[in-house]
Amino acid sequence: MTFDWSVVWRYRDALALGTATTFLLTIATMAIAVPCGIVVASLRLYGAAPVRTLATAYVELFRNLPLILVVYWAFYVLPIVTGVGLSAFATGLAALALNVTAYNAETFRAGINSIRRGQLEAALALGMTRTQALRRIVVPQALRRVLPVLASTWVSLFKDTSLVSVIAVGELAYVSMQARAQTFRVLEMLTAMAAIYWLLGYPQAKLVDWIERRYAVTE
Amino acid sequence: MSAGASARAKASGTKAIRYLDVVKRYGGFTALAGVSLDVHAGEVVCLIGPSGSGKSTLLRCTNGLEKIDGGDIEFEGARLGRDERALRAMRQRMGMVFQNFELFPHLTAEQNVAEGPRTVLRTGIAEAKRRAAAMLAKVGLADKATSYPSALSGGQQQRVAIARALAMEPDVMLFDEPTSALDPETIGEVLNVMKVLADEGMTMVVVTHEMSFARRVGDWVAVFDSGRIVEEGPPEQIFELPATTRTRDFLSHLSWNA
Amino acid sequence: MDFDFSVISDNWRFLAEGVGVTLLLSLASGVASLAAGLVLALLRLRGPRWLRPPIVFYIDSMRAIPVLVVLVWTFFALPIVAGVTMSPFMAGLIGLTIHLAAYAAEIVRAGIESVRPGQTRAALALGMSRAQILRRIVLPQALVRMLPAFGSLLSVTIKDTAIASVIAVPELMRRSETVAGQSFQPIEVYTSAMLVYFVLLYPVTRGVDRFYRRVAHLGRS
Repeated sequence: MTFDWSVVWRYRDALALGTATTFLLTIATMAIAVPCGIVVASLRLYGAAPVRTLATAYVELFRNLPLILVVYWAFYVLPIVTGVGLSAFATGLAALALNVTAYNAETFRAGINSIRRGQLEAALALGMTRTQALRRIVVPQALRRVLPVLASTWVSLFKDTSLVSVIAVGELAYVSMQARAQTFRVLEMLTAMAAIYWLLGYPQAKLVDWIERRYAVTE
Repeated sequence: MSAGASARAKASGTKAIRYLDVVKRYGGFTALAGVSLDVHAGEVVCLIGPSGSGKSTLLRCTNGLEKIDGGDIEFEGARLGRDERALRAMRQRMGMVFQNFELFPHLTAEQNVAEGPRTVLRTGIAEAKRRAAAMLAKVGLADKATSYPSALSGGQQQRVAIARALAMEPDVMLFDEPTSALDPETIGEVLNVMKVLADEGMTMVVVTHEMSFARRVGDWVAVFDSGRIVEEGPPEQIFELPATTRTRDFLSHLSWNA
Repeated sequence: MDFDFSVISDNWRFLAEGVGVTLLLSLASGVASLAAGLVLALLRLRGPRWLRPPIVFYIDSMRAIPVLVVLVWTFFALPIVAGVTMSPFMAGLIGLTIHLAAYAAEIVRAGIESVRPGQTRAALALGMSRAQILRRIVLPQALVRMLPAFGSLLSVTIKDTAIASVIAVPELMRRSETVAGQSFQPIEVYTSAMLVYFVLLYPVTRGVDRFYRRVAHLGRS
C-alpha cells in the first residue's frame, strides 16, 4: 500500500479555490444573517402579537431542523418559489442564511433580555422614550454580551459550509471529495481536507476563546 | 428649620405630589391597599417601614414605572399622565435615584450626568457638558468626571446617580433606598449630599432605613405596613411618641442612634 | 403547483425504518459521547498532568473540523489506515462519537468548574476524601447545571445523524433522498422529512427546558 501525497500538491489550486469559496460563503452568510437576526429579534421582542408569533415560529423552525435537510429542501423548493433558477452557490447561501439568522435572532434576543431591567428604568426615569433608552443604553451594553456568541456562531458556520457540498457548491469539502474521486487517492485527499479545515479552524476557535475571555461579563 | 419650612408649605398649600387612595396589585398580591399622602413643595418626606410594606412600590408608581390599579396620583396639580408622552414630560420634572445606582456602565461619570440633558432635553452637547460639570462638582466628584462607573466606589456611584438626576433640574427628587446597597463608610457621603439638597429647599420623597437621616432631615415621616400608611407625622412625633403599636413594634426592632 | 403526498404513504415503511435508524444512531452516539466526554473531562481535571495537552488538543481540533469531514474520513480513510472494514452505521457511530465527545467533555468541565469552591472546602472540613467530594458533592450539583447544555447537545446529535446520510447510513435523510430520487417528488418527500425532524427535535429542547426548571434548585449553591 503506497501513499502518494503529491496529489495534494498537484491539486493545490483547486483546494485554494475551494477554501476561498468557503470563506466567501461564511462572510456572505454572516453579512446577511447579522442584520436579519437583529430585525427578527426586534420583531420578537417589540412587534405586535401576530408578528411576534411569526418571528418566534421562524426561529423555532430553523433551530429544530438539520441544516443538511434545509440545503436539500432549498435546492428543490427555491427555484419553484422564486421562479428563477438559482445557482447552487446562491441556494446554499440562502439555506445557510435562513439557518444562521434564526440562531442570531435568538442570540440578540437573549442579549437584550440579559440587560438588567433597572438600566431601562433608569433611562425611562430620565424621561427618555423607549426607543432612545434602547438605542443609547440597552443595545450598546447588549452588543458586548452578544459578541462572544456571534464569534462562536461564526466558527460553527465556517464548518457548516461543508454541508452545501451535497448540492455541488465548490467549497473546500466538495473540491476535496472531487479530487478524491478523480485520483482515487482516498486517504491523502481526505486527510488533506481534514488538515486544511484544522489549520483554518483551530486559530478561529482560539480567537473565540480569547473574545469570550475579554468580553466576559461580571455583574 | 425643616419643621418651619414644612409649616410654611402647608400654609401656602402648594402640594407637589398628592397620593389619593392609591391601589396597586401584582396578580393576587396587594402591594398598596389605598395609600393617601400629601407631599408639599420644599418638604422632605421619608417613607419608612418593614420590607415589602409598599414604600418602594409607591415611589415607582410616582413616576409611572409601575401603573396603579386604583386611586390617583397628582403631580403639580395634574393627574399623572396616562399616555406615554405626558408621562415622559412629567418624568423630566422628577428625578429618581435607585438603590442599585443604575449608572450606565458604558458611559463615563460625566457622560452619565450629561445623558439626560443631551438626549431628553436636547440642550446640545455644550450645555449638557456644562451642566454635568456643575452637578458633579456639586456632589463633590468633579475629579471623577472621566472615570467609568466600574472604577468608582458605591458611594461615589450613587453620588453620580444623584448628579445625573439633578442635571435635569427636576422639581422633585425621588430616592428609593439610596443607601441600602452601600458599605457603612460610604453611606455618610451620600446622606450629606441629600442633606444639602434638602437645605436648598428641594422637594424630596425618600424611602429609607436610615432613621437618623429621617429624624434630622425629614419634615414628615410616613410609616408603612402591609400596603398602608399606619401612621404619619413630623419625625419628633413618630420617633419619640409613636401613636400606634405597629410603629412602636417596627422602631423597636431597629437599632438606630438618634 | 400541486403536491401528491401519496408518495409518502406508499413508502412509509421504508421511511419509518429510516426514522428508527436515526433514533438508534442518535441514542447510541449520544450515550457513547456522554460517557467518553465524562471520562475525558475527569482525566483532564483530575488526571495526570501529561494527559492534559493531548486532551485539550483533541477537543480544540473537534471544534475546528466539520462533522462531515470526520464522518467521511472515518468511513473512507480509517479502513485504509487501520485495515478494518466497517458498515456505514458503525462508521457513523464512531465518527459522531469522536466529534461529539469533545463537546461533551467541555460541558462536563464547565459544569464541574462552576460549582463553588466553598462547597469543596465545606466537604473537606467534614473530613471527606477528594473522591468522595467529587462523587457526592460536586458531580451531583454539576450534573444539574450541565442539563441545559446537554439538552442542546442531544439536539445537535439528532441533527448530525442527518449528515451521516453522506456516508450512506440508512437513516431518515438518506432514505428520503432515495425516495425523492426515485419518485421525482423531492418537495413532498423533503417537506415530510422536515416535519418528522421538527417533531423529533422540538420536544427535546422544550422537554429539557422544563425538566431543568424543575430541578435547577438542586444545583444552586
